[in-house]
Amino acid sequence: MTTTTTERRAAVRETAPLLSVRDLTVTFQRHGEEPFRAVDGVSFDVRPGETVGLVGESGCGKSVTSLAIMRLLPKRGNKVTGTVNFEGTDLLSLSDAKMRDRRGRDIAMVFQDPLSSLNPVVPLGVQVAEVLERHRGMSRKAAMPVAAELLKRVGIPDPVRRLRDYPHQLSGGMRQRALIAIAVACAPRLLIADEPTTALDVTIQAQILALLKELVEDTGTALIMITHDLGVVAGLCDEVNVLYGGRIVERGDRHPLFRDPRHPYTNGLLASIPRLDAAGERLTPIPGSVADNLPWDHACAFAPRCSQPIEICTQVTPQLEVADGRALRCHNPVTSGWSGPSAGQTEGDVAR
Amino acid sequence: MSVTEESKATEATPDDDILLNVEGVKVHFPIKRGVIFDKTIGYVYAVDGVDLQIRRGETYGLVGESGCGKSTLGRAILNLEPPTDGHVIFDGVDIASLKGEDLRRKRQDLQMVFQDPLSSLDPRQSVESILVEGMKAHGIAKDAKEARPRLRELLAAVGLPPQALSKYPHEFSGGQRQRIGIARALSVNPKLIVADEPVSALDVSVQAQVINLLGDLQEEFGLTYIIIAHDLAVVRHISDRIGVMYLGSLVEEAAAADLYTTPLHPYTKALLSAVPIPDPDIEDEREQILLTGDLPSPSNPPSGCRFHTRCPWRQETRCDDERPALRVVEIDGFPSGHRVACHFAEQIHRGEIEPHKVEPIAVDPSSFEVPEDHGTMMAEPPGVNTASGGDPARGL
Repeated sequence: MTTTTTERRAAVRETAPLLSVRDLTVTFQRHGEEPFRAVDGVSFDVRPGETVGLVGESGCGKSVTSLAIMRLLPKRGNKVTGTVNFEGTDLLSLSDAKMRDRRGRDIAMVFQDPLSSLNPVVPLGVQVAEVLERHRGMSRKAAMPVAAELLKRVGIPDPVRRLRDYPHQLSGGMRQRALIAIAVACAPRLLIADEPTTALDVTIQAQILALLKELVEDTGTALIMITHDLGVVAGLCDEVNVLYGGRIVERGDRHPLFRDPRHPYTNGLLASIPRLDAAGERLTPIPGSVADNLPWDHACAFAPRCSQPIEICTQVTPQLEVADGRALRCHNPVTSGWSGPSAGQTEGDVAR
Repeated sequence: MSVTEESKATEATPDDDILLNVEGVKVHFPIKRGVIFDKTIGYVYAVDGVDLQIRRGETYGLVGESGCGKSTLGRAILNLEPPTDGHVIFDGVDIASLKGEDLRRKRQDLQMVFQDPLSSLDPRQSVESILVEGMKAHGIAKDAKEARPRLRELLAAVGLPPQALSKYPHEFSGGQRQRIGIARALSVNPKLIVADEPVSALDVSVQAQVINLLGDLQEEFGLTYIIIAHDLAVVRHISDRIGVMYLGSLVEEAAAADLYTTPLHPYTKALLSAVPIPDPDIEDEREQILLTGDLPSPSNPPSGCRFHTRCPWRQETRCDDERPALRVVEIDGFPSGHRVACHFAEQIHRGEIEPHKVEPIAVDPSSFEVPEDHGTMMAEPPGVNTASGGDPARGL
């Protein structure tokens, strides 16, 4: 089992990337305020059939990255630079009309809150059929049976009857399934899921994750999984990007990354979450909060919260160094893998 | 459950050690409809008969999915939501029967920490005024000046600088606001603190700070906690004993370690197997019990065992029409503190009953509006994916 996954993984690595994000920077500008870089030079690749995770806490830029790729950020008040290369086309330089043709057909997105992403006054069937009408040129009449088929595919019971239902008549888990049905309606080659299970209960989360996994395996769709939950990432993603303060601080395949986290932030995150399979030892929190961050342009943003800062950390910006399929942005990486709860300090108990 | 609650064989507990005794508590919300006259057309059975005892100095975790009634139970214990039926006996006094001034005085002993620290703190009150308010109400201090030394202590205890006193809630980060909420609960020297999802609004790195703080404060002030949360890993981490709720009633209760190593109720097994673990090696190996469909409507709960509509171990007999009582289960060498509400817990544990595919049940959507975020119909699953007779909690 493990050999086949490694082989499959190796094969995936060989293929040319489907989506290649280079130096993506999103700057929010407000009149009379300092511009704020929400995403700062983010680069990563997604190959066909691959599941890539973007992980980080709130405010790390993971959602803004996905919105920038989809060109869903408002035009006013922010500047997006860099390139998003999707099969040879730079999505950022496409006209609005061309981008609309691709959205939903080539790249689709599943959002966090299924109730606010569905139109409350339009029956479910119409919302699914709409995508097919727009991109496949089907008539409403022809699209409806396909819509029912799609609802069935994502595990919604009694799909023909559900076509006439409105979103409020469905439970949270069913709504998220409907949203996934809309996203996969045109068999997109890339699916972006932004915290798709955060609003759901654990047992429903398990159902949705199983569904996403199945879709990816059956259709060969590439998936970008955006989440704050390291547990979700551990079971689903081939490659994981850890974001902090708008930049990627560490990247690796899930097994080596979890076994041997090199960045103190990744290491700290793993040490600070209580685990279901471990007894109640004292947790090692990461001290402080994101408010303590230093600006990236002349320091490491994480330095004030770091467990092992050295002098250079507050003076020089660390670069993202790539080696052996892993990438790391740190002056003083964690050496011996998991440092464990004893290594960290408990200073974190004092809020700063 | 009038029998004395036994903990592990080593620490048998006398009756006077029980701080809180919840007996048959029910909270039913009427569903009203009508243009001119409101007619009660049904009830949401949010909490439907819960018995539990909480010992002095312990941390009791209450887990379950949204809509299972765990928050309502927490509120009913504090009489913030008067129970429809049953008794909440705190230190020998039945809180459910207290009214007016007596109840207000009693509240000094029972405090609550809320989920959303920003909306539970008045944005126009300074931290000092927030903390002094409760102390004045309970006659601990006459004014802010008199309370000053105690306020300093409180802030130090929750890890905030003394300058925080003159600041307002919006000036703090989420983790710091939760510390203020905890300080407010502590300010009146309570005996019991009910914390409703105390860390779920916080980022993971900050969660750990607050979890550690709760632990430290318990040691320092000898507090008793009821922690209500949906995050099983958090609950396991801080609780001594855990109660699992499903659709308004407790389905299983045990010491934290026992619950996680040997879950007996099918729902607990499924719940534990659904929690993702941040370790790819375990995730690859793990077999999950995927439950089918959603939580049934609490306004129209299934007959018999509440869980029978989704249970992979459901049997033809008893499950459909006989509601299982929460009973102490003895399975060779098991600690007797393990209580479970399942007719077939022993047989399932011994592997005598094999899990089977759950046939989808077409339940007519209930005609009632349900205040919870859950739909009213049962759903057909993409198939049950159960561990084939093995221990589903393997790797936990």
